[in-house]
Amino acid sequence: AYSNLCLLLLLPPFTVLDFNPLLDETNRILTMEDPDNKKLRSTPRNADDVISLVMPYVTDPKDRESASLVNRTWLRADSETRYHVTMALCYASAPDRLSARFPNLRSLKLKGKPRAAMFNLIPDNWGGFVTPWVNEIALSLRRIRSVHFRRMIVRDLDLDVLARARGDELEVLKLDKCLGFSTDGLLSVVKHCRKIKTLLMDDSSFLEKDGKWLHELALHNTSLEVLNFYMTEFTKLSPRDLETIARNCHRSLVSVKVGDVEVLELLGFFKAAVNLEEFCGGALDEDPETPDKYIKLTFPPKLSRLGLTYLGANEMPILFPFAAQLRKLDLIYAFLETNDHCKLIQKCPNLEVLETRNVIGDKGLEVLAKCCKKLKRLRIERGADEEEMDDERRGADEDGNEDLGYLVTQRGLTALAHGCKELEYMAVYVTDITNECLRTIGAYLKNLRDFRLVLLDQEERIVADLPLDKGVRSLLMGCEKLRRFAFYLRPGGLTDVGLGYIGQYSPNVRWMLLGYVGETDEGLVEFSREGCCPKLQKLEMRGCCFSERAIAAAVMKLPSLRYLWVQGYRASETGQDLRVMSRPYWNIELIQARRVPEADEMGEVSEVEHPAHILAYYSLAGQRTDCPPTVRVLD
Amino acid sequence: MSKVTTELDFFGLEKKQTNNAPNKPKFKKLLDRRRSFREIQGAISKMDPEIIKSLLATGANPSETSTRSLSVPSTPKEDHQRILISPVHAPLTRPSTELVSGTVPMTIFYNGTVSVFQVSPNKAEDIMKVAMETSPKKDKSMEKHLSVIPPTTLRTKLFGQNIDGDLPIARRKSLQRFLEKRKERVVSTSPYFPTWA
Repeated sequence: AYSNLCLLLLLPPFTVLDFNPLLDETNRILTMEDPDNKKLRSTPRNADDVISLVMPYVTDPKDRESASLVNRTWLRADSETRYHVTMALCYASAPDRLSARFPNLRSLKLKGKPRAAMFNLIPDNWGGFVTPWVNEIALSLRRIRSVHFRRMIVRDLDLDVLARARGDELEVLKLDKCLGFSTDGLLSVVKHCRKIKTLLMDDSSFLEKDGKWLHELALHNTSLEVLNFYMTEFTKLSPRDLETIARNCHRSLVSVKVGDVEVLELLGFFKAAVNLEEFCGGALDEDPETPDKYIKLTFPPKLSRLGLTYLGANEMPILFPFAAQLRKLDLIYAFLETNDHCKLIQKCPNLEVLETRNVIGDKGLEVLAKCCKKLKRLRIERGADEEEMDDERRGADEDGNEDLGYLVTQRGLTALAHGCKELEYMAVYVTDITNECLRTIGAYLKNLRDFRLVLLDQEERIVADLPLDKGVRSLLMGCEKLRRFAFYLRPGGLTDVGLGYIGQYSPNVRWMLLGYVGETDEGLVEFSREGCCPKLQKLEMRGCCFSERAIAAAVMKLPSLRYLWVQGYRASETGQDLRVMSRPYWNIELIQARRVPEADEMGEVSEVEHPAHILAYYSLAGQRTDCPPTVRVLD
Repeated sequence: MSKVTTELDFFGLEKKQTNNAPNKPKFKKLLDRRRSFREIQGAISKMDPEIIKSLLATGANPSETSTRSLSVPSTPKEDHQRILISPVHAPLTRPSTELVSGTVPMTIFYNGTVSVFQVSPNKAEDIMKVAMETSPKKDKSMEKHLSVIPPTTLRTKLFGQNIDGDLPIARRKSLQRFLEKRKERVVSTSPYFPTWA
């Protein structure tokens, strides 16, 4: 009988109102004859009691939110059985509120700094300290097994408190793009949490004192499944420790990502890690004098997700023997040219995820479209600017055709739209784009949930088909499942009307990043009209011409907005126009304009001006009290 | 930090005024250690409005000093009233007062008066050039500390923005690091790099 109930709950998201049939069904089941002993229950149990048994099967957070609003009993059932919470901004609430609401939490994910921090736009000391959260975990959240901190500040003391509080029960620790700790903190975690299964410090900055933490893992751990220190600058680690870990954890170890470790030192590791499915990192050091340098390299038999740092054309063939089983390929940090991409990709018919730089070019995208019909996720990052390319890659061919296929333009994206219909995620930096291409994407890529387009701002490139009003409208109308959308253009890229289209045709979008869209404040008015962006929760804008007043006015009209980030806008003298959006529980902060010494691509250091940012968000915790001098809270 | 006062004596009035023994306005001492003219602009907001008020009053009613109001070929967009109202403890957000596109505020302290003009970066450069020509070059160190933002930087890097007000697309940190490392590796494997070094 209970399984019937549970099946009912696995239906697609429902609102509070839909619970009435659920209640009816519950009652019906409870008063039904028990088929096994044909006896009616003497006292029909309360529907409320049942719901506490059923609630754990309700997993979608939005459903849980609805369920918790029914009555106090249901609220309690939700509270007691909520096992995972993600806070998109750690300042949205307070640690004690979290533990009061969800005392049995097993897994917590917190995000701190704005996404712009990944692009060097946010001061390091902006905030997002894990300390109060770690202290709360130690005090009240005694069931926590999994902790994920993203873009936050973590100190050794925090790691120590967490490690001692949770001990062997901590299974997952992810320090994702964090900073502030040292290898001492890692050592503490490894010492106290002997049964850790996932240890991640991907793209984090820390002080490296020694390699003891890895050694400690090698000595005692036999349960490791995921070890990730990709994009870190460790220099004191011993490859032998890695090999030992692989041997001790060979049953469980499935994913390992390392920093710049010479691949030849990992031969033993690869031999021992017999169940490894994913590997990223290492460092290949091509030597023209020994072309067979890496011939001894063998990979684990089940490896299907791979990325080799500094992989060059010469070493590429070492992947060919198992290219057909590759489902994920990370070429972002490889040294491959356009033609190399073509050669490699055509050997990977089972590819589902590809990450690379825009050196893949239209040519590479055409090969991808032809050969990789199962492609679900594509990320094309921005490589070195065109100016650094060889002259032979630019220029024109004999017919005067300038499009040699070494750049990413509408040609490649159109091919993708026709060839890779399974695409769900597409993030691309392009050199050129057309309305027709966007229309084609909307027409064919019906599974797209996440689409991000950045038009590179190289001055010489004239993009002929601007503005993109009609194209973006067609794309948004066609991609009905779109939930995340980024559109980063240049002045003239989208008119006010076009911005209005974005507002009108994104019924399901929850996150948007908009760069250089619109022409005047009127664009924002169109964007935020009644019925526009009904589900937009998080809005990021950069380089727009809107005034503070217009931004604040739009915020007041967007019904679901809970987080706003803006950099590059027309500010008033003191930020006073932002008070148009003053309201209870809405925190408004300014990151002041700053001058930051930066090295450009030539290595020359100059002081770069960073314009001010606006950051505004709903919070139940009141205003921040831990701001650095660069952050100003608007009362 | 530089302790040199940054002053632009546009019309060499300093020479003429030596006889008049002017009261050096107090607020000029506060301007010590300002190196860039952008920071001069920021300095206004950090000053006590009462001081500015009294100084402007002195400036408006010349006693011994000959105060000539500055004529610079730009339309003043802000008058003195504006400055007084500006709250002292809330620093102006910097690239903020772009009332006419492409122009940013240029603040000139002259003989007790403070004037703010909306000036394009080119104009600003011209003005500063003129000032440096006409002012006596007795204090060479002042030129250095005047910290005129070099013309190219002025053009492209004003507020991290291009002259049209664009922000350059920011690079992802991880990719930035990779591209820098790649440069190093390319250099070290080039045929001209001494491998025995």
